[in-house]
Amino acid sequence: MKLVHKIILGNVLGIVTIVLIAFFSYHEVKLIQAKLRFVEIADNLNASFLEMRLSEKNYFLYNDPLALQSIKKELQESEQMIRSMRENIITAVGTENFKKLNSNLKRYGKEVEKIDGKNTKVLEAGIREAGRALRMFSESIIKLERNKVNQIISASSKGLLYFFCLVLFVATTSTYLFFSKIFKSLRQIEKTANSISEGNFLETECKISNDELGSAMQAINSMCVELKTRHEQLIQSKKLASIGVLTAGVAHELGNPLNNISMVAQTYTELYDELNKSERLDYMNTVLEECSRIKDIVQNLLDFSRPKKTDFKVSDINTVIKNSLRLVQNMLHVSGVETGLNLQKELPMVYIDENKIQGVLVNLYTNAIQAMPPGGTLSIRSFFENDSGHIMIEIEDTGTGISPEFISNIFDPFFSTKGTQGTGLGLSISYGIIKNHQGEIRVKSDVGAGTTFTIELPVYTAKEDMDEWSQHYGN
Amino acid sequence: MSGHSIMVIDDENIVGKMIKATFQKEGYEVETFLHAKPAFERLKEREFDVVITDLKMKDIDGMEVLNTIKQEFPNTKVIMITAFASMDASIEAFRKSADDFFPKPIKITELKDCIKRLLNG
Repeated sequence: MKLVHKIILGNVLGIVTIVLIAFFSYHEVKLIQAKLRFVEIADNLNASFLEMRLSEKNYFLYNDPLALQSIKKELQESEQMIRSMRENIITAVGTENFKKLNSNLKRYGKEVEKIDGKNTKVLEAGIREAGRALRMFSESIIKLERNKVNQIISASSKGLLYFFCLVLFVATTSTYLFFSKIFKSLRQIEKTANSISEGNFLETECKISNDELGSAMQAINSMCVELKTRHEQLIQSKKLASIGVLTAGVAHELGNPLNNISMVAQTYTELYDELNKSERLDYMNTVLEECSRIKDIVQNLLDFSRPKKTDFKVSDINTVIKNSLRLVQNMLHVSGVETGLNLQKELPMVYIDENKIQGVLVNLYTNAIQAMPPGGTLSIRSFFENDSGHIMIEIEDTGTGISPEFISNIFDPFFSTKGTQGTGLGLSISYGIIKNHQGEIRVKSDVGAGTTFTIELPVYTAKEDMDEWSQHYGN
Repeated sequence: MSGHSIMVIDDENIVGKMIKATFQKEGYEVETFLHAKPAFERLKEREFDVVITDLKMKDIDGMEVLNTIKQEFPNTKVIMITAFASMDASIEAFRKSADDFFPKPIKITELKDCIKRLLNG
């Protein structure tokens, strides 16, 4: 059922309940009104009966003929009142009681008829008996009706209280159920949206309800599918662009040594007769050197395109940092570069291929040393970052820095700011290695102030998890 | 003997070395530079008839070298060379009035003919 239908149904039920309560209350008030009306009539009758009984006493005690007339008058008025109020009395006390009242009154009337100016003990006893019976009956039904009115009021107030409790309970429960369902769906939507913003274009697996929230979830799911497709297309086009960059890079990298060999060969042929033995050897050695340069480029290219099998193990990153620093000790010394080590003690272990991470570090140290004039400082920091749960390694130099326009390209294959000194593959290989470790590598640079590379590596958690990861990413 | 002077700017050491060996034999005076900055310094001291410059260099872009030489020494002929040969690069080089454009690998005989043509024409 759609939310809008649920809301309409809820409102309709609410209105129906209010109408029922109003109807119930109206009915009860009407009943009380009828009862009170009767009590009023009965009070009047009772007053008349009392009057009749007083006159009755006067008649028999003082033989007052006016008293008899007064009885007849009251009797007549009472009969008239009962007749005119017949419907009201029947509604209030029922036909049975009405008949009893009427017969009691008639009996009294007959006793009064019997007197007819006489005054005997027998007549007095008869009329007194009938009068007492009439008054007792009328008083008893008044008492009964007053009790009934009290009962109705009490029952009505209880009924209204129960009704109110029921309405409150139903309203609270249905509101809770209604909103908890909405909030559950909204949480699901929020979770999916967060997951999308993190780059996971996974469709939600929860059951999709047949309402507006379900439609929203469905829209998000189809957005996920679309984003995933677009993302894959983007990756594909980036791959194609990389191939373009790679091809251009290969052409340029190989073009130079090929040109050198070609030029040496042409010059060698042309100057052959004029060259002495050592010069000829020198020319041929140049050819061999250029061939070796081509071989190195090809080897680097192979390493780049087909990473060697990785060998993951639990390691202490600080040991790896220190070992890799030893490898560039000579270079540091020759270049006159100082080192500053700031390694956090007792860091959590990492699960890495030590050789590969060492390769990445040596590559970054080498770049830093080459970017610095003598007297520069290479600072290496390691620490654990609580927020991300990652080990951070920072390699900072005080070198020339990288121009902002080059920053976005520095991890691209064959991108180099070192001219013939570099193949432009070092950082792109390093980037691939860190990505294979589920890590991140970032760069921050200020021209003239220096460059900082930051490597983020996940800490070692459980071996089985890592084994699985190694199977996925390690080959 | 020619008596003409040639300057070679290329960060590939061998290019300059081979051009020097070939053209010295032909009677040219050849000076080679690995970077553009020292080459500019030298140009302030003396003029060259021909400058052969690489398009892609570490310190200064070859196009900048071409612009500067054409502005300051309009009589000097400039030949561009590059391993990064593309149509766009050659068009831009000619638009900026380079006298010729050689993709690597360079054919030395063609380079000789070109220089002779430029100096005699």
